[in-house]
Amino acid sequence: MTAPRTGLLDQAVGRAMSALSAAAKKGLGDPALAELVVIRASQLNHCAFCLDMHLAIAREHGVPQRQLDLLAAWEEAEGVYDERERAALALTEAVTVLTDGFVPDAVYEQAAKYFDNARLAHLVALIAAINNWNRVMVARRIPPGGHTS
Amino acid sequence: MTTTNDTATTARYVPEQPARMQWAQLAPEVYKAMVRLDTAARQGLDRTLYELVKIRASQINHCAFCIDMHSKDALAGGESVERIVQLGAWDESRHFYTEKELAALELTEAVTVLTDGFVPDEVYEKAAKHFDEAELAQLISAIAVINAWNRFGVTFRMAPGHHEPGRHK
Repeated sequence: MTAPRTGLLDQAVGRAMSALSAAAKKGLGDPALAELVVIRASQLNHCAFCLDMHLAIAREHGVPQRQLDLLAAWEEAEGVYDERERAALALTEAVTVLTDGFVPDAVYEQAAKYFDNARLAHLVALIAAINNWNRVMVARRIPPGGHTS
Repeated sequence: MTTTNDTATTARYVPEQPARMQWAQLAPEVYKAMVRLDTAARQGLDRTLYELVKIRASQINHCAFCIDMHSKDALAGGESVERIVQLGAWDESRHFYTEKELAALELTEAVTVLTDGFVPDEVYEKAAKHFDEAELAQLISAIAVINAWNRFGVTFRMAPGHHEPGRHK
């Protein structure tokens, strides 16, 4: 058994993170798509707490179980996601895996075809926000299951 | 005679690429929340240390705008050129940094490159030796926040080179 990590998260930090996520989701205006984006980023970042929480929320929002089941292989899952969802997921991956280098023009432009500038700005904000949560939860190794909705 | 300096001043650089969009104007509530988050996350952190953390995360995430801003801010805050230049190879130039700074830089890398898997115990424990619990929680939050800024900077291709230190405090 390894030593426990801190459970501390400054209240002002937590409130600002919640405000950021809320503003991003509101501006995107598509709660079901938001959950797909957030779950995919949490898969890439290996955030157990975030996956547990957002899979529960996604089910509440009526995201089809099949879309959740196949999310880790969305590119290969023909007929499960529409073009708009696929553009958002491709952008999610590019913006999440920055360490491999930049956000390709093709990925950005594909997203810009399906989201106007204001929605695109909020979609990117949502991806940045969940990346923020992923880091704070993984670094402190917060266990899954704490979420109640 | 052509000197290195002449070459640099007469070289024809490629034109600056425009930003993909002005996101802060299109998402003002998001921008406000980010600024609030940034302010909250750096409370209690040493400013010199946090600039090093921000530069290193921005290097790993390839955020040109952020590297420009935070390198200039660090210099303006009294940081040495040497310590900024060596940041990209800090593991090989440890004698430029304190043990505490090195622990923070190691944690920065682990928390930034999450897609390669988790934050190793030895990295976390080393940081926990040098930072008290509240300070460590703030450091983790602060690393997460610069990662968020990096994502805006890179995705919208915000142009580097225009930051004047003293702004965006």
